[in-house]
Amino acid sequence: MKAHHLKAKNIIEFGLNFNTGREKQPYVTISTKQYKLSVLVLMRIVNLGDDMNIKKFISKPLKVLAPFVAASVMATNPVMADETCMSPYMVKIVGQEDFVYVWTLGVEGLGDGQDKMVTVDVNPKSDNYGKVIASESVGGRNEAHHSGFTDDRKYLWAGGLDSNKIFIFDVHTDPAKATLVKTIDDFVSKSGGVVGPHTTYALPGRMIITGLSNNQDHGGRTALVEYTNGGEYIDTYWMPTDDNLQGAHKGGQFADGYGYDVRALPSKNVMLTSSFTGWSNYMMDFGAMLGDAEAMKRFGNTMVIWDLHTRKPKQVLDVPGAPLEVRCAWKPENQYCFSTTALTSQIVLLHDNDNDGMWQADNVSDIANPADIPLPVDISIQSDDALLWVNTFLDGMTRAYDITDPHAPKEVYSKKIGNQVNMVSSSWDGKRLYYTTSLLGNWDKKAQDNDQFIKLYHWDGKEMTEQFVIDFHAEKLGRAHQMRFGAYSLYGKTAKVEQAKNPIVAMSK
Amino acid sequence: MKYSSLKVSLLIPFFFYSNYGFSEEITAQGADKVRDFYNEEHFIIEEPEAGEQSPASGKPQTINGVRIGPGDDKTGYETTGYTTNSVAITARQGIKADLIRVVENPPLGLPEIPVPVDNPLTAEKINLGRKLFFDRRLSLNDTFSCAMCHVPEQGFTSHEVEKAVGLEGRSNRRNSPSIYNTAYLERLFHDNRETSLENQIWGPLLSKNEMAMTSFGHVLQKLSTLKDYDGLFEAAFDGEGANILTLGKAFASYQRVLVSGNSAFDRWYFANEENAISDQAKRGFELFRGKGQCISCHSVGEKTALFTDKLAHNTGLGFKRSMGKKPEKERMLIAPGTYAYVKKSKKDLVGHPEMADVGVYEVTQNPDDRWKYRTPTLRNVILTAPYMHDGSMPDLKEVIAFYNQGGMLKNESGFPNVTQSPLIQPLGLTENEINDLIAFMETLTGDNIAEVISDAFSTPVGDTTNEH
Repeated sequence: MKAHHLKAKNIIEFGLNFNTGREKQPYVTISTKQYKLSVLVLMRIVNLGDDMNIKKFISKPLKVLAPFVAASVMATNPVMADETCMSPYMVKIVGQEDFVYVWTLGVEGLGDGQDKMVTVDVNPKSDNYGKVIASESVGGRNEAHHSGFTDDRKYLWAGGLDSNKIFIFDVHTDPAKATLVKTIDDFVSKSGGVVGPHTTYALPGRMIITGLSNNQDHGGRTALVEYTNGGEYIDTYWMPTDDNLQGAHKGGQFADGYGYDVRALPSKNVMLTSSFTGWSNYMMDFGAMLGDAEAMKRFGNTMVIWDLHTRKPKQVLDVPGAPLEVRCAWKPENQYCFSTTALTSQIVLLHDNDNDGMWQADNVSDIANPADIPLPVDISIQSDDALLWVNTFLDGMTRAYDITDPHAPKEVYSKKIGNQVNMVSSSWDGKRLYYTTSLLGNWDKKAQDNDQFIKLYHWDGKEMTEQFVIDFHAEKLGRAHQMRFGAYSLYGKTAKVEQAKNPIVAMSK
Repeated sequence: MKYSSLKVSLLIPFFFYSNYGFSEEITAQGADKVRDFYNEEHFIIEEPEAGEQSPASGKPQTINGVRIGPGDDKTGYETTGYTTNSVAITARQGIKADLIRVVENPPLGLPEIPVPVDNPLTAEKINLGRKLFFDRRLSLNDTFSCAMCHVPEQGFTSHEVEKAVGLEGRSNRRNSPSIYNTAYLERLFHDNRETSLENQIWGPLLSKNEMAMTSFGHVLQKLSTLKDYDGLFEAAFDGEGANILTLGKAFASYQRVLVSGNSAFDRWYFANEENAISDQAKRGFELFRGKGQCISCHSVGEKTALFTDKLAHNTGLGFKRSMGKKPEKERMLIAPGTYAYVKKSKKDLVGHPEMADVGVYEVTQNPDDRWKYRTPTLRNVILTAPYMHDGSMPDLKEVIAFYNQGGMLKNESGFPNVTQSPLIQPLGLTENEINDLIAFMETLTGDNIAEVISDAFSTPVGDTTNEH
C-alpha cells in the first residue's frame, strides 16, 4: 500500500542516512526531488559554494552519489548543528541559530486572543537579540501545540489539537518571519476521523503526523497520518487495537490504540510512537480532570514499534503511565530511544539489545519523586548521547540525567526555570537551552503561577546562566509552547541589515 | 480488591515489563524491574484478589457484531489485572434501521410516543435529525456535535468523563444525560428547565461551554453554507427551509424515536414470561418496590413503566457537592491498578474552582428547590455509567450505597440540608440485597440497543471537507 504511493512518486533508495552519519542503514527512501533538494542544501552547509556546477553534480547517477554526499558531510561535520530532537532526515543548521519560532496559544482577552507563530531573534550578533521580531496570527484558538519542519526545512507545520487545523509556515523565503502560506482544514475528514494533530515529523518528502484522538468519542484511539510535503493527504495508519492488531505482536496486557509522539530510527528501520490521552482529557481543565475518576482511566499505557518502511505496526509494548516524548540517541552505535511517563514519572529506555527485532521498554530511572506527580513533560537528548534533559511541569524544574549508561540514568543537575515549564530545545553543541512554559491551554497553572515566557540559558556543562527572557503575557502574545530553530545559513542567505532595526517587541529583562 | 502497598505480586506486573515472551520464567532481573515500576515507595498498588473474577466479566457485550459499550473499554482498570479490550475506529460501521416503526408499535413496557401535532414524525425528518446530531460543524470551531457527549455506544451519554467537556475544553457542571426515552419527558435537562424536545437543541447549540454558536442566525447561516444539506430541510418540511422551528423539529424527530423497551424485565413483568429474568433479579424487584423504596420515584405503572416520576428531588448529593468539605488529599488512579495521593492544594493550582450547582433553584429561584434534580429513568441504566447528575458515582453499587445511608441531612459543620426529600431515608439494605437490586437493574436494558447503535454508526460524522 505504502510502496505503491512511494513508487508513484519516483523513489530512490540508498544506503546511508547522510544527516546523522549513521552507517549500516537498511535503506532510506526518498523522492528524487527530495534528494536533489537535500544535496543542494548539504552543499551549502559544507561550504561547497555557489560557483560549483550544481546541476551537473546532481545529475549524476543517484545511487553512486549518495554515499559520496554522506561521506562529505561526515568528513566536514561529524556532528551537525541544531536542536537534537528533530528528524534525522532533516537538514541541520551549522553553528549559531538565528531565530526561534515559538508556536503560541492565543488567550481569550489577551492581545488579539488567537494563536500565532512568534519569531524571536536569538543571534547574539543581532541588534534584535532576545527580541520578538515577527508574529503571524492564524485565527482562532486551535490549541496550538507542536510543530515540525519538512525535511528540506523550508516549511514549518504547526498543528492545532482542538481545531485539527495544520498551519504551514514558509520559513525559507524570509527566515526572519515565519509566514503562513497554507492551512489544512480538512485533516479529520481526509484521515477518516483522526482528531488532534500532534507531532508533525519529517520523513523523506513526507510529513508523518500523530493524532491524539478521534471524531467518534473524543477518546484516545487514534492514528498516524501521512502527508506529502506539499500538503497532500496520503494515508492513515491506525494504532493497533485488540480486535485488529494488524499483525503487531502484543506482548503484554495492553493495546489501547492511543497515540502521542513519533520518532524514526532509520538504522533499525523502526518508528516508535507513544501514547497520551484523548480530546476530552487534553482539553479539560486540569484540576477538574484530576478529580474525574473516569477521565483518569483514559491515559495511554503503550508504545508501538512500527516498520519505518512499510508503516506497519510490529510490536505493542506495555509502558504504563502515559509515555509522552520520544527521543532517539544520535551516535551510530547507540540504537536506542528514551521516553518519559507523565503520570508515573519514569525514564523509559526503548531498546533492542538482543538485536532480534523485538524491542523492550525498561523503566530505568525515577524522575524526581514520582509520588509527588511532578509531571515530566518535554525531554531533550544531548547530541553526544551523554545527557538527557527532563522538564517537570508542576515544579517548574529542568533536570539533567547522565545517560552514558542508558540503563542507569543518574540525575546530575537541576534548576528551577519558573512556576511551570514545558518545552526545552537545545542547540546541537548543547551550549544553549531554550525553555517555554505552556503545556495545554486548560492545563497551565492558574492566576499568578501561570508564567508564560521563553528563556534562554547558556550551559557550560556545570551550570546554567540565564541570557534573556521574554514575558509572553506582558507582550500580549499568549502561551509560549513549542520552539523550532531557524537560520539564514540553511538557505544560503545572510541577515539583511534593515531587518535588524525594527523589533516589534522589546526584551523584557 | 486487596490493598497492598508493599507486597507486590511478581507475576502479574511482570507482564508490564516483559513485552514479549511473558510466558518465560521470571528471572531475578525481571522481578527487580517489576519492583521498579510498581514502585511501592511511591505508589499504592491494587492487585486483583486471588480468585477474583477476571475483569472480563464486566466487559461490554457484543450483539450482532455491535459493541454495546465504549470501544475503549476500561473495565477493571482499578487493578493491575487490567487488560485492554479495544476495538478499531474503522470497525465503526452500521446499518440504517427503520426507527420510525416504534411510533406504530411502541415496545413492550412503554406507552405510545407522544408526538406534537405540529411535528408529526416522518422518515425524512428523522434522517435529517440524525445527520444533524452527528455533525461536528454545527459548533463554533467545527469540533462538536451532539454525539461527542451523547455517544451512541456509550448509552447516548459518555462513560469517559464524569462531567461533560465542551468547546475549547470548557467545563460543564453535570454528567451528559442519556437520550434514550426522552420522548416521554415533558421537561428536559437535569434541572427540568426545558419544555420540549423541539426547543431543547438550542440550549447546547448556543451555550458557550457546549457547542458555542453565537446566535440563532449564526447557526442557520452556517447550515446554509453546508452544501450537503441542500434541499434536505425543504424535503422534510414541505418546502420550508432551515429556520429556528424546523431545525428544532428535525433534531427532536431523531431523538424522539430513540425509545428502548421490551427488556427482560418487561417480558417478565408485563408479558408474564416467567423465565425472562433470574430469581435474583426478581428478588431485586421486590426490594425495589419494598424495602428499597426506589419505586417511589422510579415509577412503574400497571401497563407501562418509565422508571421515573419526572419530578425533581433533593437526594442529598447536590447538597453534599455544594456544602460538603473537600478532602485535603485524594487518591487518584494514574495507571492500571496504580494510585497516588494528590493534594487539594496542587489540584487547585492547575484547576479553576468548581462551579456551584444549586439544581432546580437556578430555574425557579425558589429556595425550596435548592439541589433538586430530575429523577432519571432506570431503563438502560447499566449502559449509562458514571451515575448521578454530576457523574460522581462509577457504578450502581456506589449509588445504592449512597441511598442506603440516607443521603446527607447535614454537612460536616452541622449546616442542615433542609430541602432533602423525606423519601430519602436510611434503608438498611444488606450486601446481598444490594446485589439483588443490581441484578434487577441489569434486566432493564432494551432489546433494540444494538440496532440503534448500528443505525447511528451508519451515519457519517460531519466534518469539514473541501470536496464539493
